[in-house]
Amino acid sequence: MDLKAVLKNQNVLKKRSGYMWAMTATILWGLWYLPGSVLWVLDPFATMYGDIAVESGDVAALLVTAVLITAFNALAVVVVLTIWNGSLGKLGELKRTMREIHPCTKWFFAASIFGGPVAILGSFIAMGFVGAAFAAVAALLYPVVGTILANRWYGEKITKRALVGMFFMICGGIVIFGAGITGELGASVPLIGIIGGLMIPIGWGVEGAIAGKGLDVAEPDAALHLRFISETAIWWVIVIPILALVGFPMYTYALAFFDPLVMMVMFFAGLAFGYEYVCWYKSFPLIGIARAQGITILYVVVVVVALYLFFGSVPDSSLLIGGALGIAGAAVMFSEDVTEEESIRT
Amino acid sequence: MTLRPLKFRILEIMSDGKAHWNNEIIETVGEEYAMTDDYGRSSINFDLIELASGGLISSLEAQIDEDTGHLLRKYGITDYGKVRASESCFRSL
Repeated sequence: MDLKAVLKNQNVLKKRSGYMWAMTATILWGLWYLPGSVLWVLDPFATMYGDIAVESGDVAALLVTAVLITAFNALAVVVVLTIWNGSLGKLGELKRTMREIHPCTKWFFAASIFGGPVAILGSFIAMGFVGAAFAAVAALLYPVVGTILANRWYGEKITKRALVGMFFMICGGIVIFGAGITGELGASVPLIGIIGGLMIPIGWGVEGAIAGKGLDVAEPDAALHLRFISETAIWWVIVIPILALVGFPMYTYALAFFDPLVMMVMFFAGLAFGYEYVCWYKSFPLIGIARAQGITILYVVVVVVALYLFFGSVPDSSLLIGGALGIAGAAVMFSEDVTEEESIRT
Repeated sequence: MTLRPLKFRILEIMSDGKAHWNNEIIETVGEEYAMTDDYGRSSINFDLIELASGGLISSLEAQIDEDTGHLLRKYGITDYGKVRASESCFRSL
């Protein structure tokens, strides 16, 4: 084989690996919704929701319970990533990266704020004040934010074909959730619900762009571990103590968490979420923020299928049309020509 | 010597302005970080691919190693790489 062909092959392999990581992230993100939904009906979270709803109303109960679940989820991800990086022999690289506050840690700390409190709280605010379909559709727009930022900030190249693919995938998601959203968006949509809806794409979009910048000089496995250590600290050192000071019994319910069944479900949640993020971060340097974020929109299809297979929630016929649009979008994106250029930036 | 993250060290080697073959960098970095087995060498090579993908370094020349059949690439630091290295890793650049 001549050198030119070998070089092109390497670029094809790089692209395939990037898409493979992004697709694995998509599947795991969808599967996370299984343990993620089960947690809400297990104690202490179910009792917590009920007790707070009686005292402070349903929306407060939703938000405060979501904080505790998300805080434990972040902690579970840190445990999973410690096993992951320990097995790969990368704990040394984690320590070295953590020491570099200015070039590395600050980016992943910022990524954890946008991906954690901003995006996740935004999801629950949108869900609580407007509805689940509205929150899901708002989330579909995050690649648009990520793509614009990555392009404007550090010149990530984005082809027309990749944009067309992303457009198809967003349309697919809107078709899946479209019917639900019309019922939710009545005459009076509270402003806080709209703000929550905006927080989702801004949170995840900005996280991706910031992570892309930090990943210039950091390894994805170490970077991601750092991002989740930061998120865990934000929940447990800042948010939960503030909620406890305000009067919510956070620690009473947190201490009741140590039940084998709940811990096992949380571990599965951590496993799916942690490895989903590993795959997501690994795809960024290979195919760029825009394509990686575009592909992962397909998680909505996986969620609906997984909920049907495991919980028997029969999907609407819109899943077929939306799913087909999403898969067509992914195919358009994947069929981009691979050139001999090795950089994804201008 | 306190070791810094792998990509910092690679950028430090590249910041002499000269072109370096990937196997030289893998050799040097592998010795320093005790990553001389196949997995360690592949990890360092992957960091080089990621740095090139991000546009911090670029490949100037390529050839196939006749003994191993592996693709060898000669990399040089780009202007963007110099900027990122000076912002991030080395104030002196």
